[in-house]
Amino acid sequence: MALKGLDIFKMSPKKNCKECGSPTCMAFCMKVAQGAVEIDKCPYFSDEAKAMLNEQTAPPMKTVTVGEHKLGGETVMFRHEKTLVSKNLYAVSVCTCMDEATVDAKLAAATAVDYERIGERMYVEFIQVANTQADPAVYAALVKKAAAVGRPLVLECWDVECAKAALAECGKDVILDGATPANWEAMNEVATKAGVTLGVWAENISDLYDTVKALEGKGNKNLVLDVTGKTAKETLANAVLVRRTAITDGDRTMGYPSIVNLAKLTKGDARLETAYASMFTEKYASIIVMSGMTYAQALPLYGLRQNIYTDPQKPMKVEAKLYPLNGADENAPVALTVDFALTYFLVSGEMERSNAPINLVISDASGMSVLTAWAAGKFSSSTIKKTFDELDLENKIKNRTLIIPGKVAVMKGEIQEKLPNWNVVVGPLEAVQLPKYLKDKEYEAAAAAAAAENAAKAATAATTEVKELSFEELLETKVPKIEIVDMGVKYKGYNPESKTFVTIGERIHCIAPSIRKAMDERDPAPILERAAAQIKAGATYLDVNIGPAEKDGPERMMWAVKLLQENFDNVPLALDTANMKAIEAGIKVYNRTNGKPIVNSADAGSRIGYIDLAAANDAICIALCSADGIAKDNEERMMHCDNMLERGLSLGMQSDDLWFDPLFLVVKGMQDKQMDVLEAIKMFSDKGLKSTGGLSNNSNGAPKEVRPIMDATLVAMCMMQGLTSAIVNPNDRRLMETIKSCDIFKNHVLYSDSYLDL
Amino acid sequence: MSFTPKTGAFRGAINAVTLGTGDKAIVIGGQNVLPFYTFDAAIENAPKIGIEISDAAAQWDVPGLTELYAGCTTMAERAKKAETVPGADFIALNFESADPNGANRPTAECVADAKAVAEAVTMPIVVMGCKHLEKDAELFGAIAEALAGKNVLFMSAKNENYKTVGASVALASGQKVGAETADDINLAKQLNIQLKSLNVPAESIVMNIGTAAVGYGYEYVASTLDRIRDAALKQSDADLQMPIIAPVSTDTWSVKESSASEEDEPAWGNREERGIGMEISTAAANLTGGADAVIMRHPAAIATIKQFITELV
Repeated sequence: MALKGLDIFKMSPKKNCKECGSPTCMAFCMKVAQGAVEIDKCPYFSDEAKAMLNEQTAPPMKTVTVGEHKLGGETVMFRHEKTLVSKNLYAVSVCTCMDEATVDAKLAAATAVDYERIGERMYVEFIQVANTQADPAVYAALVKKAAAVGRPLVLECWDVECAKAALAECGKDVILDGATPANWEAMNEVATKAGVTLGVWAENISDLYDTVKALEGKGNKNLVLDVTGKTAKETLANAVLVRRTAITDGDRTMGYPSIVNLAKLTKGDARLETAYASMFTEKYASIIVMSGMTYAQALPLYGLRQNIYTDPQKPMKVEAKLYPLNGADENAPVALTVDFALTYFLVSGEMERSNAPINLVISDASGMSVLTAWAAGKFSSSTIKKTFDELDLENKIKNRTLIIPGKVAVMKGEIQEKLPNWNVVVGPLEAVQLPKYLKDKEYEAAAAAAAAENAAKAATAATTEVKELSFEELLETKVPKIEIVDMGVKYKGYNPESKTFVTIGERIHCIAPSIRKAMDERDPAPILERAAAQIKAGATYLDVNIGPAEKDGPERMMWAVKLLQENFDNVPLALDTANMKAIEAGIKVYNRTNGKPIVNSADAGSRIGYIDLAAANDAICIALCSADGIAKDNEERMMHCDNMLERGLSLGMQSDDLWFDPLFLVVKGMQDKQMDVLEAIKMFSDKGLKSTGGLSNNSNGAPKEVRPIMDATLVAMCMMQGLTSAIVNPNDRRLMETIKSCDIFKNHVLYSDSYLDL
Repeated sequence: MSFTPKTGAFRGAINAVTLGTGDKAIVIGGQNVLPFYTFDAAIENAPKIGIEISDAAAQWDVPGLTELYAGCTTMAERAKKAETVPGADFIALNFESADPNGANRPTAECVADAKAVAEAVTMPIVVMGCKHLEKDAELFGAIAEALAGKNVLFMSAKNENYKTVGASVALASGQKVGAETADDINLAKQLNIQLKSLNVPAESIVMNIGTAAVGYGYEYVASTLDRIRDAALKQSDADLQMPIIAPVSTDTWSVKESSASEEDEPAWGNREERGIGMEISTAAANLTGGADAVIMRHPAAIATIKQFITELV
């Protein structure tokens, strides 16, 4: 088993000298545990500790490097368990048994397939050179020819003299696939002397195991295992058993990358080779040797490989750029969507089906789908404007129609404002509606209307100049006077020193249409209503989400903060928006009687600046332990935690003012990661840190009647682990009663028979 | 001491489901190991291949298919030809033209086609709908009644229409029902539970857990297959032990790799060969992940996958 970062930390010098490049010993140890850095980067670990750690931190399967390629290093049997790390690579085989013309043709064809798909170069990475004869000169000549192609080589050669001669004709980016139970000692010397990776093959898996053991005994661990059997069936058995022995059974003797030679098994049947290559992509080949590679094989095989080796927790992204479809030129209209690969494929596929020329613009949205990206502020009028500027679309495209996804119709006004020279039109809600929409040019009327509106606006706008106002001026001129309405509830008050669990009510959120409308229109009623209900139900803090609020964020937030605090006895608030200026403005008018404001939220990636914002304004900051995507395990979570903690402390924050969020995951989809989240909470707690998070995310998509049970059970488990706060729906009575009961058991509140009513 | 790898079957097993009647009847499922893991235990029933016949087959324009079906004008004539294709184990009738948002073929016409096919062939029949929830429910009910006793599989019942489809197909006509979900293991389990609660026997249910051509989000299909088989075999989850059927051809022949002309993509080479490659690769990937049956279109792709299965089992 691999060691945990904390175990390594125990053996570390704990000097925090930064000589390794990491800010602290803890951060360094976390990275070592992840395999992100070598332990040798630290000059102060003792040699014994290093040797022990190098052995223990080694993954169950070695990573072998050949040229620029990495093979192996896998830690799981199935991609959903974590992720697969080193994609399988392809080799095309030439052989001394072929005539010269065949060899030349094969080498030429092997390099003909070379293209890009979603940011990845697709080509034949290796040339495999098989030897079937005994004359070293003959083999050396063929290897020399293959080496001239300029790709790393796999030399399949069991004859020691031939291997020696061949290695003299090529560089070091070579796998000498030549060791067998009969020749391993001599072949090992050849490979070690030349400094190349040695491939091992045996008649059966038991002999393969013994040969690897013998080679390891000689100190050679730079190995790959050629698992090719007499049949495809036997080869699959070998590939699976080797991987299973290493990963499931933890026997590192089998912990090496593998080679599967299909050229041997399929006798040149290209279609059958495609079938088997697909299977071995999923089942455990590191290098697949083919007798050839045509586009008819490459297109499916590289597509499959790209899918299988996608990190399940990192969405596949396409490049943010202009994609002219169906022969679109500068006169075709522009349509916009996000860079999530599935969205792109779906949308571009339907657009191609329409046969109508269209300029598809993909905007950078961190690989999220349209609505998710919008909610996270990753697909906003600013990010869109940025894309348009970077791509210089205003000059490249003459047509002025800009179709935006129907799902973000709400952004139309903002986009129109940021891109005044475009006629913004709301497109269909679903991609399947696109062919008809584009074919029938359903956007034309809306585009004309937008154009007319823009022209009218331009005429009046010429006279008014916009000047940026200070917060005070905004407050003076743009924030409506707050009316006090008696809602019949009184805020219970909060003592920040107390240990009771802090509930942050999540109901004032712009994802709810009624709240979005109320925020837009500065209509107090719907907001006060939800606030009153939450306060009555016992919420400690209220979260105030004003949406991405690009345009009028500061005045919006100031209004919302004043509205809520003045009406409800200075109830403490969490300020929640992607607009940092708005948070700053909100804090300016915030009353601290019942506790500091909470900034919701920072992460260890692009939102790290929110910590600075909180520090500068003496606020609490929710710190999401992720960096643009869910952390893949607790080592990563804790690394983010340490980085953010360090940043906060260096800016003068108290550690109590950083509330770490492990990021609650939905059971429907990430059931197997729930215990990780619970473990992370314990780790925060053990470090004396506070924690919070959107707990109800766990039950997303579950039936209404089941959700309270799931939420209540999880909150109890979390509180046992040391969770100190959660962003919840306080109107969920079962949940709130569970929290109160847990506070009794944790001895945070003195018991009385009516503790539930308090 | 010699190395002996750990091998062995799981406690849980996939249900064996019979389709069709008589000599040509087939059984899918039955194994208690991962796909093709013959080193753990023998595979009970080799995976099966269905050959797709569509009521829109006249639009299929690659030479291998136009030659195969040359002179055929009806579904029954095509089905008779399809039955002779080496490697095919069953016929899959795709009534895509019944879609009210498309050609909207009347149900009666489709039923007549299905009856004609059933009279012309002896292989088991699988019926694929037009993906329109209400029309499919109507179509499946009518065909199930017309083909009573033929032990036909209907694809598919979804979360939105499982009550109608389950009742008419499985309960009233005693046919087999496909439970279709889209790459969601929780929903797949839930749909099976719901069908069982209608009194549809577990042995009458086959799953379609979602499809995609390789390169087009296939990772979701792959991981759903992995997770479903893990639950069925390792955790003995009886609500996920249904065999799996993967309709491959409908996805693989519509993506760009198979449909782009040689003029548009000169580097890519022969279009038909690309389509065959996409179909083979997607079928092989599905079979490797856990599909017990695949539905395919091109005779060359079927021949290759047949050889693939035969060599591995």
